[in-house]
Amino acid sequence: MRKKIFKSMCLTALLTILLSSLLITVVYYGDFESRMKSEVRAETDYIKSAVELSGAGYLSGLPDSQNRVTLIDETGRVLYDSYADPSTMENHRDRPEVQKAQTGGAGEDTRTSDTLSKQTFYYAVKLADGQVLRVASTTDTVLAAILGLLPWILGAALLVAAVTSVFSSFLTRKIVEPINRLDLEHPADNMAYDEMAPLLAKINRQNEVISRQMRSLKEKQEEFTSITENMSEGFLVLDQNTDILSYNTSALRLLGAVDLSPSEIHASALTLNRSTGFRKAVDTALKGTRSEQVLHLDSRCCQVMANPVLRDGKVMGAVVVILDITEREERENLRREFTANVSHELKTPLTSISGFAEIIQNGIVKQEDIPRFAGNIYLESQRLISLVDDILNLSRLDEGEVPLKWEAINLLALAEDVAARLKSTAKKNGVVLTVSGERTEISGVRSIVDEMVYNLCDNAVKYNRKNGRISIAVQKTAEGVSLTVADTGIGIPTADLDRVFERFYRVDKSHSKEIGGTGLGLSIVKHGAAYHNARVTLESTEGVGTAVTLIFPNIPT
Amino acid sequence: MRNRFDEQLEQLNVELIKTGALCEDAISTTAKALIDNDRELARRVKPIEREIDQKERDIESLCMKLLLQQQPVARDLRQISSALKMISDLERIGDQASDIAEILPYLQGSVSESKLHIKEMAQATIKMVTDSIESFVRRDLPLARSVVEYDNVVDGLFNKVKTELIRLISEDSNNGEFCIDLLMVAKYFERIGDHAVNVAEWVQYSLTGRKGSLLADADDIPWTEDMA
Repeated sequence: MRKKIFKSMCLTALLTILLSSLLITVVYYGDFESRMKSEVRAETDYIKSAVELSGAGYLSGLPDSQNRVTLIDETGRVLYDSYADPSTMENHRDRPEVQKAQTGGAGEDTRTSDTLSKQTFYYAVKLADGQVLRVASTTDTVLAAILGLLPWILGAALLVAAVTSVFSSFLTRKIVEPINRLDLEHPADNMAYDEMAPLLAKINRQNEVISRQMRSLKEKQEEFTSITENMSEGFLVLDQNTDILSYNTSALRLLGAVDLSPSEIHASALTLNRSTGFRKAVDTALKGTRSEQVLHLDSRCCQVMANPVLRDGKVMGAVVVILDITEREERENLRREFTANVSHELKTPLTSISGFAEIIQNGIVKQEDIPRFAGNIYLESQRLISLVDDILNLSRLDEGEVPLKWEAINLLALAEDVAARLKSTAKKNGVVLTVSGERTEISGVRSIVDEMVYNLCDNAVKYNRKNGRISIAVQKTAEGVSLTVADTGIGIPTADLDRVFERFYRVDKSHSKEIGGTGLGLSIVKHGAAYHNARVTLESTEGVGTAVTLIFPNIPT
Repeated sequence: MRNRFDEQLEQLNVELIKTGALCEDAISTTAKALIDNDRELARRVKPIEREIDQKERDIESLCMKLLLQQQPVARDLRQISSALKMISDLERIGDQASDIAEILPYLQGSVSESKLHIKEMAQATIKMVTDSIESFVRRDLPLARSVVEYDNVVDGLFNKVKTELIRLISEDSNNGEFCIDLLMVAKYFERIGDHAVNVAEWVQYSLTGRKGSLLADADDIPWTEDMA
């Protein structure tokens, strides 16, 4: 724009100077010519009257005039010429001005020289004696005049051009400056040219539209980010080239790439993880098929689900969701183990029962042996019943919907009650049971707490030595009410300490049948404690004894 | 806005990562087959190696196309030329993993029972390959340098395994074939380590424009005095 304005201004100025020079020259020349002509006429008239008065001799006495004076007789012969010798000159009868003068008294003509650079004006008058007096004045032609003036004109044009260019550039700057200074962020505030107003108004409207759309886009983006960021599942959006378009931090965490810098994140997803499973999932999805893979990353286990993103039937990318299924896998394993254990534990007594019954049915057993066999069947079914009871208790605790009412329980009284029930078994095993402590109350479900304490004491009796001791102590501590069952039994090896609370876990698997029990006792204690918000601690030294402490929370007063 | 050239460079990068991951698969499968004496697993290495070979050809033609059509300069040129070099090292890693897998079915003895340090050697080599590829993926210069350093560990383990094998043969010459086979396996692992060093050095080159000087040393076979 600046250039254009500048150029047009310079061009206009140059054109102006050229045209005006030409016009002035032409006009001025016209004026000059007519003055010259009237001067020539006046001079001719003057010489005519002089010649008529004093004869042709006057002519030779004329001062050297610029104008050529010629005297021609009736026949056209030249009698006198102020420039040349009349004898060498040709007959002038045919000259138009002479003819006009002879016929009309006066005549004039303008003739241009061969080179066109000069033109001569002739004025002729008829004297009283019939002779013709002619005066000629030679001047430059218009063209020659212009050509002669041309250097001056060009010089002037150059000067004008120089001045104009300086002036134009200044003016151009002046004109363009307000446009350059336009604040397009706030188009309405501009006070530039009125002609710009519609444009500015339009820009203003569009600015508003854009900023509104940007805002809503940003809000949506933020909404999306806050949703994905709060997902514990990993989330990745990839393009066809496996480049990451969007992601959340969970995805990075699950894929083990927390320490990546943001510049690296906008690269290929394979920079996050390039394990076979992940590659396969992404590749399959980018070929247009949904894919699920399980990745084992260090200690964790992740499920990767990759779905293709289709547009018009063409794969545009993939959405990858990553789930942490470590716990699920672990639970699954536990469940599988539990199912296997339950089946095994249920099957053992049933096999015995079925075996004994079969022998009796076949009549192989003697009549007097039947009571012993029936006793065995009875014992095994009792074991089966207690096993099923335990499993039922456990699953009831698992479900967390025990329909029993909470009440205040005197823990010491409950412990004494349990001890009384176990007295005969203890006596048989040669174990002494003592109960001590303060009478304190806890809040709980009596049947469950009873079951828990019974299981602990039962274990203490079962896994004790001959002449061993068991002490049950109830205490009120700052943390809550504690009940400790300590025995002087065989203890638990350190390696097994973590696992004794698992269902069906037996430290000494080979002797479990002799000792009896279901392997669910401590599991019931653990679940019962969890139900009561109680804490279980277990301390044990192999060969010295075991102490299990239950700490119930205080009843809020 | 990304132009076509950048897209092709990114594609080259992705293809290299995939090839690297395949190499990792190949060597870890081989090592597992070796340690667990699992012949079924050993058979799975060959297809991986073929896939790596295919990738090598793909990447080579992609590089050629980039070089001819785009006439890259400076860092882009370095990236492409180092990709060309890297891919041949990766291909060699795949080949040698496959070579080990081919020996496995004929091994007359169990590696895990022999108490040789070949298991440690396999693990150290896997670490080198993984780290070299990781350094490429993350553009991690210190990691690339550590791979070059770590070659000494693998070389040391190679010597250790060799000494153990010599002892084993001298104890009972019937072990001869087993020991020679294992020596080959160990040698292949050692070579894989060297190729991992090369990969790491090409990573270094593409990042800094300077090639590490340790390449020549890594190619040297670490003979010890008792073998000289």
